[in-house]
Amino acid sequence: MKPLLKFLLAAVALAPLALSDVCATVNDALSFAYEGATPYVKQGFTFREDAWGGDLGLGDKKAVRTQLFKGNSYWFIVGTDIKNAVVTVHVYDPKGQLVDADFWHRGRFCGAFVEPKQTGAYWAIVTVEKSPSERTRWALVYGLR
Amino acid sequence: MHTMKKTILALCAATVGLTSTIAQPADLQDFPAASVDNVIVPVPSEVFIVLDKLGSPNWRGQLRDSVGKNTGNRAQVALLLGTVIADGFIAVQAQDAERVKEIGRDVLNLASAINVRDAVITRSKSIVDKAEKRNWSEVRREFDGALQDVKGAMRELDDEDLAQLVSLGGWIRGTQVLTSLIGQEFRQDKAELLHQPILVSFFSRRLDSMPKKLQKDPLVVQIRKTLPKISPLLGTEDGTKISQDDVKKINQLSSELVMAISQQNR
Repeated sequence: MKPLLKFLLAAVALAPLALSDVCATVNDALSFAYEGATPYVKQGFTFREDAWGGDLGLGDKKAVRTQLFKGNSYWFIVGTDIKNAVVTVHVYDPKGQLVDADFWHRGRFCGAFVEPKQTGAYWAIVTVEKSPSERTRWALVYGLR
Repeated sequence: MHTMKKTILALCAATVGLTSTIAQPADLQDFPAASVDNVIVPVPSEVFIVLDKLGSPNWRGQLRDSVGKNTGNRAQVALLLGTVIADGFIAVQAQDAERVKEIGRDVLNLASAINVRDAVITRSKSIVDKAEKRNWSEVRREFDGALQDVKGAMRELDDEDLAQLVSLGGWIRGTQVLTSLIGQEFRQDKAELLHQPILVSFFSRRLDSMPKKLQKDPLVVQIRKTLPKISPLLGTEDGTKISQDDVKKINQLSSELVMAISQQNR
């Protein structure tokens, strides 16, 4: 296995947190996530009421496992309340291949678009790429149509 | 200042662009399975929407005359509540406003039975109001919200286990309906929607970690015995074809569970 890959695997913490489980300040990050999702709601995407979040150190990653269905299109949106932080989300298929068909980052939120080629378990991996804070709060929402 | 902000944003974008291009295929299969604690459990409508795209399922035919009996047993009520919320999604697919309103009220009654009424009063009202207006996407969203509110309220009461049973009840009822519809007009692309082994594995682990008292609940016992029978039928390997016979078996197993949860076979 490549060293980079080993590092990635070692760095990924695997227990996602339901947002209700984490501190209230993540709600600010959630507001940004929903703000990032707004254009897609207008395009007919329905965003789940459930959300996931927490806080991560610089360079840390969090993997959220999710069941996706072939035939749906998904937007995964991550928000953070930390100014000048860069938090990204990418989606990997069950074989570990990157499957984002689109990705963007703007200010305090970013999004990854996925049209699964098969039904199964996927991984949304959230990474704090850059941040002025020791810990960076983040929140993830996803929508589909 | 404005220029500086633009520069920072451009730098951020460049950083992200770089990240995007160097992202490596990650051999995620190598993650130790034991450390995979949580999975995002989809709401039934996520798969129902796909089924709608693949044909014209008879959603109305899947609606039940009665959602079942509340026995007062908290585990049974939590499971039943999950199945009833799933019924809400089915009624939305069927665009049956009257049934949606009834289910909205059923959700409130069951939530009351396990002391989380306050969490869903507003949702229940919204479900009824939006069903009146036949605003189906919003009704769907309200059912999702009701599910999250109920689970959130249970967690606040330190009833995480019951919250999981609500999700499980929804998954069981959703699977029953999905297999029933796929069985009526079998196609491999529809059957692929059942490829959900991680969810069964997730629920099994959750049930295994519940307190002994809850594990001895007759319904929980039955579900714990049934899930390992369903799991191999869902295609444990990626790309496994799920046969018509397997769909029938999953439907039979999930129907037995729904009957037991609804107390309609006792």
